[in-house]
Amino acid sequence: MLAQRATQQSLRRLVASRPTLASQMVSRKFAAPMAVMGSSLTYRPVATQNLTPKDSYEILVAQRKNRPTSPHLTIYKPQVPWILSGLNRITGEILSGAVYIFGSAYLIAPLMGWHLDSASMAAAFASWPVLAKIGTKLFFAFPFTFHTINGLRHLSWDLGRTFKNATVIKTGWTVVGLSTASALALALLV
Amino acid sequence: MASIVRPTMLRQTCLKVATKRAFSTKPTSSFPAINKPASVLSRKTVRSAFVKDALPGSMRVAAFHASGRRPILPALPQEINGTANDAAPVPTPSPTHGSYHWTFERLVSAGLIPLTIAPFAAGSLNPATDAILCGAILIHSHIGFEATITDYIPKKRLPKTRKLFDWGLKLATVVVGVGLYEFETNDVGLTEAIKRIWTA
Amino acid sequence: MAALRSSSRLFTAARPVFRTQLRAFASVSDTHSTSSPVPPSQTSTVKEPAADPDAKIKTFHIYRWNPDTPSEKPRMQSYTLDLKKTGPMMLDALIRIKNEVDPTLTFRRSCREGICGSCAMNIDGVNTLACLCRIPTDTTKESKIYPLPHTYVVKDVVPDLTQFYKQYKSIKPYLQHSAPAPNGKEYLQSKEERKKLDGLYECILCACCSTSCPSYWWNSEEYLGPAVLLQSYRWIADSRDEKKEERKAALDNSMSLYRCHTILNCSRTCPKGLNPGLAIAEIKKEMAF
Repeated sequence: MLAQRATQQSLRRLVASRPTLASQMVSRKFAAPMAVMGSSLTYRPVATQNLTPKDSYEILVAQRKNRPTSPHLTIYKPQVPWILSGLNRITGEILSGAVYIFGSAYLIAPLMGWHLDSASMAAAFASWPVLAKIGTKLFFAFPFTFHTINGLRHLSWDLGRTFKNATVIKTGWTVVGLSTASALALALLV
Repeated sequence: MASIVRPTMLRQTCLKVATKRAFSTKPTSSFPAINKPASVLSRKTVRSAFVKDALPGSMRVAAFHASGRRPILPALPQEINGTANDAAPVPTPSPTHGSYHWTFERLVSAGLIPLTIAPFAAGSLNPATDAILCGAILIHSHIGFEATITDYIPKKRLPKTRKLFDWGLKLATVVVGVGLYEFETNDVGLTEAIKRIWTA
Repeated sequence: MAALRSSSRLFTAARPVFRTQLRAFASVSDTHSTSSPVPPSQTSTVKEPAADPDAKIKTFHIYRWNPDTPSEKPRMQSYTLDLKKTGPMMLDALIRIKNEVDPTLTFRRSCREGICGSCAMNIDGVNTLACLCRIPTDTTKESKIYPLPHTYVVKDVVPDLTQFYKQYKSIKPYLQHSAPAPNGKEYLQSKEERKKLDGLYECILCACCSTSCPSYWWNSEEYLGPAVLLQSYRWIADSRDEKKEERKAALDNSMSLYRCHTILNCSRTCPKGLNPGLAIAEIKKEMAF
C-alpha cells in the first residue's frame, strides 16, 4: 500500500514537471492507472446498479431455464460394466416378455381359436426350416444363459464381493464367453 | 513464429476488451432478463471481432448434435426447489418398497437358479417344483418390469402414464398368472413343454 | 502519511543525483557510437524460428455453450495444440488453450493435483478429473471433452451441481452424537473402527461417479447417486455416530437408495480409486439382514 502511494505520488510529480512526457505516457500504456488515479485527468462515467437478493435470484432462475443438458448415453465410452448391465435388463425383458405374452395368449387362446397346447406347438415348431429353428432357439437361448450367468455376478455383488474393477471386467468377459458358448450349445446340440 | 505472435496479438485485443469492460460494471449485461439492446449489440461486435482474431482458420466449429433422432424423454428446463442451501427433501420411510422389497427380490432371484437348472438336469417331472418355478418366474418378472417402469417413467413428470403402467403391469401379472395356472393344470407343465418344443 | 510525504520529498531531492549518473552512463556509450557499426556481412543472421518439423499436433474437441446466447445450440469446438509445448495433463491443455488460443473457453479448476474436484469432466467418454488425466500421446486420435454427463450446463464444460450438493446436505454429513464425549474432550475410536472409514473419507465430491451412473441420469431428482450414498455410508460406518437407524430409515424407500442396480460405472470411473458401488452394497446388506 505504502509503495503504491509512493509511486503514484512520484508519478504525479513527474507528470507535473514534464507535461509532454505525461501526454505520451497517457497515450500509451499508463492509460488505465492514470484514469483511475487522475486528479487532473478525466473520469469515465461508471454505471452501477443495485440488485436486491430477490432480483438476483430471479435472474438465476431465469438463466437456469435456458441451460442445456449435457450429452450422456451417446458420448459415454462403451465399457464392460454398463453395457453388460444394460444387456442384463434387455435379456430379462425379452424372457419375461415372452412369458407374459405366452401366459396371456394361452388364457385367451380358446376364445381366439389358437392352438397353444404343448403338443401342437411342438409339432408346429418341428415343421419349421432348420435355420429358422436355430435362429429362434438362439433368440431365446442367449438371453436365458446370459441373464442366468450374469445374475450370479449380480448376486455376488449383492453379497459385497468381487467389486474390484479388474475383477468386474474379468467376470464380465467370462459371462459373455460362457453365455455365448452355452447358448450356441443349447441351440445347436440339444 | 506465428504461434508466438498469435497470443500477443490476442492479449492486445484482450486488453482492449478488458478496459472497455472494466468501466461498465453493470451487473446486468450478462443476463438476458434485463438486458439493454445497446449493450447486447456492443458485446456482440466485441465478441465477433475477438473471435476473428482469436480463432484462425485452423479451428473448425461444428454444430453439435447430441443425437440424430429426437430423444424420448428430454430433460426439462432446470428447476431447483428452494435455495442452494436447502437440503433435498427426504422421503418418508417405507421398507415394503425399500429394504424388504430388495431382500425378497434377491431371495427369489437366488432361488430361481436351482429351480431352473434342477428340472432339466434331473429330468424330473415333479408338478410341485414346476408350479414353484412358474410362481418364481412370475414374481421375478413382475419385479423386473416394475423396476423398469420406476426407472424410465418418472412419477412427478408423467403421473398419469406412470399410474397406467403400474396398474397395467399388475393386471398383466394377474392375467399371466391365471394363464400359467391353466397351462400347468391342463398341459404337461412348463419345463416339459419347453423340453418338447426345444427338441422337436 | 507524514512519513510518506517526507519520503517523497527525499525522492525529489535525490533526483538530480540520478540524472548525473544517467549522463555519466551516456557519456560512456558515446565513445563507442563514434565508430561505424560492424557491417551485416560480419555478423550472424537471426532468422525467424522455423516451424517445428516434429511437432506433435493433437486435436481437442471441446463442448461449448454460452449462456449469453442461449438460443444457440451447444457445439463442439476443435482446437489443435503442439503436445511438445503442452504439459502432460488434460488440464494443462485446457489452460494452454485458454491462455494462448481462446480465452472465452470456460472450465473450473483449482488445485491441479486431484484434491479439489473442480475440474471433473467427461474426457474421451469417461468422467475424470482433467488434472489427473494424461493426454493420450497418440496424436492420430482426437480427444473429446464434454461436461459431466446429463447435467445442466452453466457454460462450456461447467456443470451445475446444485442438486448434487442439496442431496449431500440431505444425508446430514456430520457426526450426530447426543451426549458429550465421556472423557470430556473427544469421541475415541479403536484402530479397527477407524479402518472402516478407509476408502470412504477420501471422497472429494467431484461428482464423477454420480454423473456416470445411468440410474442417476434418469432419476437425479429422487435417487441420491453413488457419491452421496458413499458419503451416507461414511457416516453409517462411523462408530462414533449415534443416528445409524435414522440414517438408514432415510434411505429406506424405493428411490433414494434402491435405484442402484449395481451398474458399477461409479467404481470404474472414480478418479480417486474409491469404490462407491461397494459402499452402496454394504448399505444394502446392512439394511437387509
